[in-house]
Amino acid sequence: MLKRLLAPVLTLLLLVGVSTAIYLSVKEQASLQAPALQELKGIIGSEKEDFFRDPETVAALAKAPWHLHVSIEKSGSRELSTTQNLKNQYDFAFPAGIAAAEKLKREQNGKKAVQLFFSPMVIASWRPIADLLVANHIAQKRGDTYYIVDMLALFGLISHEQRWRDLPGNTAYPVNKAILVTTTDLRTSNSAAMYLALASYLLNGNAIVENTAQIDKILPQLSALFSRQGFTENSTEIPFQDYLTMGMGKSPLVMVYESQFFSEANKSPSAITPEMVLLYPEPTLFSKHILIPLTANGETLAAALEQDETLQQIAQRYGFRTAHSAANSRTAALPSLVNVIDEPSYDILEAMINRITAR
Amino acid sequence: MNLLRTAFLTGCFGLLLLVAACGKPTEPKTATNTLTLLAGSELKDLEPMWANLQEQTGIHLQITYTGTLDGAEILSDPKQHYDLAWFSHAKYLTLMQEKQKLIQAQEKIAISPVIPAIKESLAKKWGWLDHPQVTWTQLAEKIRSGQLTYAMTDPAASNSGFSTVMSVQAALANKGDALTAQDVDAEKLKSFFSGHVLTAGSSGFLSSLFLRNQAQVGGIFNYEAELLKLNRNPLLQEKLVLLYPQEGTVIADYPLLLLAKDQAANYQKLVDYLKSAAFQQWLMDTTDRRPVNPAVALGTQFPKGYLLDMPFPNTIATVNEILFAYLNEQRQPSHTYFVLDVSGSMAGSGIAALQQAMANLAGADTTLTGKFARFRNREQVTLITFNHQVQDIRHFTVDKEGHALQDIDAYVNGLTTTGGTAIFSALDVAYKQATQARAADPKRFYSIVLMTDGLNEDGMSYTDFVRLYQQHANSAAAINTFPIIFGNADPSQLQALAALTGGQVFDSRTNSLAAAFKQIRGYQ
Repeated sequence: MLKRLLAPVLTLLLLVGVSTAIYLSVKEQASLQAPALQELKGIIGSEKEDFFRDPETVAALAKAPWHLHVSIEKSGSRELSTTQNLKNQYDFAFPAGIAAAEKLKREQNGKKAVQLFFSPMVIASWRPIADLLVANHIAQKRGDTYYIVDMLALFGLISHEQRWRDLPGNTAYPVNKAILVTTTDLRTSNSAAMYLALASYLLNGNAIVENTAQIDKILPQLSALFSRQGFTENSTEIPFQDYLTMGMGKSPLVMVYESQFFSEANKSPSAITPEMVLLYPEPTLFSKHILIPLTANGETLAAALEQDETLQQIAQRYGFRTAHSAANSRTAALPSLVNVIDEPSYDILEAMINRITAR
Repeated sequence: MNLLRTAFLTGCFGLLLLVAACGKPTEPKTATNTLTLLAGSELKDLEPMWANLQEQTGIHLQITYTGTLDGAEILSDPKQHYDLAWFSHAKYLTLMQEKQKLIQAQEKIAISPVIPAIKESLAKKWGWLDHPQVTWTQLAEKIRSGQLTYAMTDPAASNSGFSTVMSVQAALANKGDALTAQDVDAEKLKSFFSGHVLTAGSSGFLSSLFLRNQAQVGGIFNYEAELLKLNRNPLLQEKLVLLYPQEGTVIADYPLLLLAKDQAANYQKLVDYLKSAAFQQWLMDTTDRRPVNPAVALGTQFPKGYLLDMPFPNTIATVNEILFAYLNEQRQPSHTYFVLDVSGSMAGSGIAALQQAMANLAGADTTLTGKFARFRNREQVTLITFNHQVQDIRHFTVDKEGHALQDIDAYVNGLTTTGGTAIFSALDVAYKQATQARAADPKRFYSIVLMTDGLNEDGMSYTDFVRLYQQHANSAAAINTFPIIFGNADPSQLQALAALTGGQVFDSRTNSLAAAFKQIRGYQ
């Protein structure tokens, strides 16, 4: 009964509302004489999708002086760097990873490469598992929310083909699964390549791999990190989605971008629970998100993302670190990382990937 | 000004939703967009929501149902035209796509592990009630010692069987990481599969087959969702205890796949709808699949604690090798009876279609699914041809070298057509042969395919056949007949026959006789 009475009243209110909005909207259009938006299309690494789809991002890009309307398609970053003829289809490409960006810029005759956001590689895990690693001297707890993990010690467990149930004092996760870090497919996805870069540095005796002799030496160990996982997904969002929805039975340790985790944490409601924690590898490396403009509009977009404070703030909400991060209170919680290494050169990284995936 | 307008618009949007909720069903908000979807047949149970989907989003789904591996094969054809695909998992397709990028985007919509369930009395006897430490190895031991038999679908036809085979292979090889072909322990697997007594081409049909034969079988491997549903079935005489083996299982995650790039916007709308709390709640309450939206609290039908998943092989070659080894070496072999109409009306295109269908099963169909459907090594094939009476009965035993396949092909090519139609006399002969053969060699799957293009004109009547069948129902139990509707055959009589014997009708008129024969292979 109440519903029947309510419906007409609400409809009336709605009509008033819509009319007012239309009136205001028309008035605003008329007063601003806003120029038509420039439509542009880009192909991006999947980890930036939510940022571009955010209505606030859309609004900030539409404003003066940018006047842009961006539509996006997503792809694995490495997959993206090997796609042909991007120029005919897109105004910009926005992969993750220096290597992918370098290659893309070279092969597509990109005008420049603009580094906009960055994000450290982290291992998304679970409190019981992190505490178990602490008990086994693989990790150290820092504050309430995050841990530092000794990657060399972790690789030691992995290369001895230890299973979770083999860890002494393990009552939290006594399962048969081999201890492995879940990654994506090396052939298609940048986050897997980042894991490879990190592992190669450590296994090469804390030095960036520079030649094939060094690759030869560590190749079996490197390969095992990936082949033993079995099936891997093509793009970083999928294992992270699995982490959020399927719990620690599926993914005890998942290599992700820090931004993925904080992007989700900043959502409301958020799928992040108190049980979910981050392990920061020591050393770690930054995944750099680099925009390659392919047209003039693409260049305008690069400028917008580089200069517009609102856009920078939105990016931070999505968990990215930016050049202006320090000034922003939201990111105060992010640990400052001192021990950060560089990726190997494009050619070395490619050589490693090719040899691992050919095995 | 901008803020004010945003506030107004936001308010209005809220009101709009309220009005829609308060009033009568409203007109669709947007024009209808039709998207083509190739879906796994187990997703038919979502159909009640599609009207609501269209109302909420303007998206109309035009759905074609098929099996997971059939679907992967259809989608790997560059000429396919589907906008979307939706199966219980995308691993096989992802491995299969290699360089050609078929999947443009994917979002997982629901979760259901493929797990074992055993009768409560067995669980009690073995101390497995509320026992989270049960392992696949313990199950294997119960099977080896003859204490446990089970129902499972054909892994080449249905994903629940496929997932079970993958789990068992990894667990019995005692692998904590990805399985490779070298890890496979064939003897242990043969022993495990020796307990397999009921097979089917789909997970839903497996449940009904289990109900029909529940006195003779101790357990079943199926989706958790399907098992929870089975446990509520009033026909089930003894509750099933769901087991979550310690080594883990393969988990179905139902990713919705975008194939057509230009449908990205509609895809996003569809995903938003499917992941909305309202849909996810309905999905859990109605189909017993677990939600992926954390806003929906997990129902009490699911045990607490995490689901352990099993690593999946990382190459299509390994997966196929596992499947072929299962089909040709490890599974219980089958004895398949084909009751084939060679009456006068089959002359011309009828007999040609039959010859093609049989040739395909003898190896002429070289597609991947064709190879999975082929007569398997160790299989016995009996061909019974009939017109107004049984014309001929031929036995073949399929050998590794393929001699029997050539013999079958040659024999079928030599068939000639004449005379009337004595369907039930021929079927009766098939049952007599099959029950005798099973008494002598019980470690096989027995089934009958009946192909006729006409009505019963000669010999035994349907009524007499039913009476005889019922008299011998015990000895004929679980020897199911799969009638194929072809030409002028009587669909209602064939339906009744399938229901009587626990089989299923396949309609060759919707596709081809060869397609029907191929599909039935999943049930043999």
